[in-house]
Amino acid sequence: MRVLIVDDSSVMRKIVTRGLRQAGFKIDEILEAGDGQQAMEVLGQEQVDLILSDWNMPNMDGLTFVKEARKSIQTPIVMVTTEGGEGKVQEAINSGANGHIKKPFTPETLKGTLGKYFG
Amino acid sequence: MTGIRDKSLRSALITGLDASVQDILATMAWTSVSFEGREVVPDLLLSDGVAGLVRMQGDHEGMVAISTDKPVGMELVSRIIGLPADDLNTEDLLDGVGELANMICGGMKAKAGIGGVQLSSPVAIVGREYSALWKTHLKTEILSYALDKRLFRVHACF
Repeated sequence: MRVLIVDDSSVMRKIVTRGLRQAGFKIDEILEAGDGQQAMEVLGQEQVDLILSDWNMPNMDGLTFVKEARKSIQTPIVMVTTEGGEGKVQEAINSGANGHIKKPFTPETLKGTLGKYFG
Repeated sequence: MTGIRDKSLRSALITGLDASVQDILATMAWTSVSFEGREVVPDLLLSDGVAGLVRMQGDHEGMVAISTDKPVGMELVSRIIGLPADDLNTEDLLDGVGELANMICGGMKAKAGIGGVQLSSPVAIVGREYSALWKTHLKTEILSYALDKRLFRVHACF
């Protein structure tokens, strides 16, 4: 299983990585991107099985990234955000996102939301 | 700029802020803090070793900040990342403090159940000697927490 974490905060990428490991998911490799634009570049060169993306990022935000990614790939994309605004969540899902995780999250939260993608 | 004059909304935000601090530190930093008290001061003035600020804009305006000394800041960031404090670089500390402020404010907004407010990206400050002042007529309510006998403060200016 290869996971791409998209977040402009290096700390948040580490927090998500730690959460995934603590949740006990079997992960072969974690790839990282600092914004949607970088994520598109990664996806042009690498195949991943799951994408976790922040909302607010410079250059290309999470919502635009979802729309761009859906033009070429169908890899599951789960949004990670601080605010649980239903409008934003629904807009992302309408644009092709598969789910949503709200910070703060626990390993149990991650298991519950992401378990289905890890088989 | 107008702050939040509605007493019940202010109360909901402060209650939400307090709950958010406890929730975020317990869930993400695996630590608990004890509430030490609250005070109202004329200015939003920060001078601890590390600080994170988030601006509120929209139907209600203001600023929320967190501040603490550098050792506590490093300990908290170390806990939320899962790396020893000695392994943290300056970018980690800045990012971590900003992310803490971001999560605490987001939690406050969600717990208070307010709409029509946008939160800015966080601003983080790490320094040996600084004073940061937000010039506004709004008063600031400071919530103080103890973490291993050291203070972690949350400044609510709205």
